[in-house]
Amino acid sequence: MKNIIKINKLHKKYTSGTHALKGIDLEVKKGEFLILLGLSGSGKSTLLRCLNRLIEPTSGEIYFNEMDVVNANSNGLRKIRRQIGMVFQQFNLIKNISVLTNVFTGKLGYVSLAHSLTFKSHKNDLQLAEANLERVGLWEFKEKKVKNLSGGQQQRVAIARALMQNPQLILADEPVASLDPATADSVMRYLGELNKKDDITVICSLHFLSLARKYGTRVIALKDGKIVFDGTPTEIDEIKFKEIYGEDAEEVEIR
Amino acid sequence: MRFSDKFKAFLIDFVIWLYLLGSGLYFADSFGYKIPIIFILPLALIFATILNFGEDSPGMALFGEKKRKWLKSLNGWIIMLVLIMTMAVGWSVVEVDLFKFFTKGANAKGIVSGLFHPNFKIIKICLTALVETIYLALLATVLAIPLAFVLSFLAARNLMPKTFLGNSIYYIVRTIATIFRSIEAIVWAIIFSVWVGIGPFAGMLALMIHSVASLTKLYSEQIENIDSGQIEAIKATGATTLQVWVFAVIPQIISPYLAFTIYRWDINVRMATIVGFVGGGGIGLLLLQQQQLLRWHNVGIIIWLIALVVWIMDMVSGKVREKLQEM
Ligand SMILES: Nc1ncnc2c1ncn2[C@@H]1O[C@H](COP(=O)(O)OP(=O)(O)O)[C@@H](O)[C@H]1O
Ligand SMILES: [Mg+2]
Repeated sequence: MKNIIKINKLHKKYTSGTHALKGIDLEVKKGEFLILLGLSGSGKSTLLRCLNRLIEPTSGEIYFNEMDVVNANSNGLRKIRRQIGMVFQQFNLIKNISVLTNVFTGKLGYVSLAHSLTFKSHKNDLQLAEANLERVGLWEFKEKKVKNLSGGQQQRVAIARALMQNPQLILADEPVASLDPATADSVMRYLGELNKKDDITVICSLHFLSLARKYGTRVIALKDGKIVFDGTPTEIDEIKFKEIYGEDAEEVEIR
Repeated sequence: MRFSDKFKAFLIDFVIWLYLLGSGLYFADSFGYKIPIIFILPLALIFATILNFGEDSPGMALFGEKKRKWLKSLNGWIIMLVLIMTMAVGWSVVEVDLFKFFTKGANAKGIVSGLFHPNFKIIKICLTALVETIYLALLATVLAIPLAFVLSFLAARNLMPKTFLGNSIYYIVRTIATIFRSIEAIVWAIIFSVWVGIGPFAGMLALMIHSVASLTKLYSEQIENIDSGQIEAIKATGATTLQVWVFAVIPQIISPYLAFTIYRWDINVRMATIVGFVGGGGIGLLLLQQQQLLRWHNVGIIIWLIALVVWIMDMVSGKVREKLQEM
């Protein structure tokens, strides 16, 4: 199978001096559900944000579907970004506007400013947005303001927004870290379904081994900006887990 | 103790003693003793040095390691002395005269009677002037909005790129806004009444300048407080810079911007009357004229009208801002 992501010798040094990524080499195949494990501060968010250049890499190469991400100009970057959906721990929806408009923003990478101001009057967009909301079970909420929704609902809106992009890849940065266990599992189920049914590749950072085993097809672990484990979820046993999370970590604590 | 802390402690004590000795000099002077001011320098130096070695002084209390009980230390007494001295000098400088206050009330008879018997015959002239004032305030606010809007983006730390040019623009806009804001509208009114002549136009310009400066500050602080996560999320969809602004920045700032602006209009109506006093036109100017002619009944009606308008503005702007918060 083809690689959707290929990373060579990726480094990120923040201006503060923190060396967050120290030579990452990684290939991600189309259709994988890749779980990113690692202590906080190990570089998971930095790695995910380098993939769509929300953070500028310091050196190294990144290819998305064989397109050069690092050297893309602003127009090229736009075309790359619009094929990559992103889901965040804090949901990062526009809180003061309606659910529907938030879903529309997933289309921004494809349309002009004028078009984006009149989404509702474009039949295709409206139908697509409603269908995506339907898919995450929130169609009735479309006119509500985001800030009146629960955390789990907001994350599902964020998934609908990502779907609006018609993405080939979804980056999820600890998407369930601020949710309770039951809600967390339901959000992960949506991501799992997109991965299986729509063949969308998912790269998702997590702290919970149980969720990693349930949804992941492959796991990599970061420690101090380096990949210290790369394998299947079942290969991670207690010993490996302690290597990644330190001696004191108990699997039970990490759910 | 680090040397820099020692130095700071000494400096504070030195300034305190300069102040205390200077105050003493002020009283000596008012009793006819002429002591050259230069004498207090060496004295303050000596006192501060001695007390710093004793480690019991305000400076040492701030930066030193030893903690002492307030009234059981020299430090406490020195601070007490500073407070007493300040009140005494203040009393003398302000020429507080309780005798006058309690015996000369009759002088205010005219204005008090004016308040109780306002002259309704001139209400038409008053209303005309009042309309002038309200429009003056409105125009000053409305014209300030676009300027402050643009400037606020330049004065927002998180939006300006951290390059030499970006930093320069940020600091220049910030500094100018701070300076212009610290110059009172009444001073601007004096400047503009000379520049464009006495009248509402001068008042409008004065309020506008002041409004631009303070709205720029309020707006830009709002921008600095926006949630960068939302910007990140919109950027990640492939949105252009303009789309990021429309969908991630503006929704976050629009309602606080409106609230600030309405509040500003409220303030401007208030200030417009004051500004009128120094040549800014409107009801303030009318008030000044009537007061100088000693027409107390006319002054009475004007004061009532101003109070009424300020009260209404206050209430309306309060209600609107409340609604905006809920949005
Ligand atoms: N914007 C930033 N500026 C400076 N240092 C940062 C920034 N973001 C993250 N870091 C640092 O980079 C390292 C990796 O952080 P991050 O990628 O957020 O890790 P994780 O997502 O695994 O918790 C940490 O040491 C963190 O403090
Ligand atoms: Mg993180």
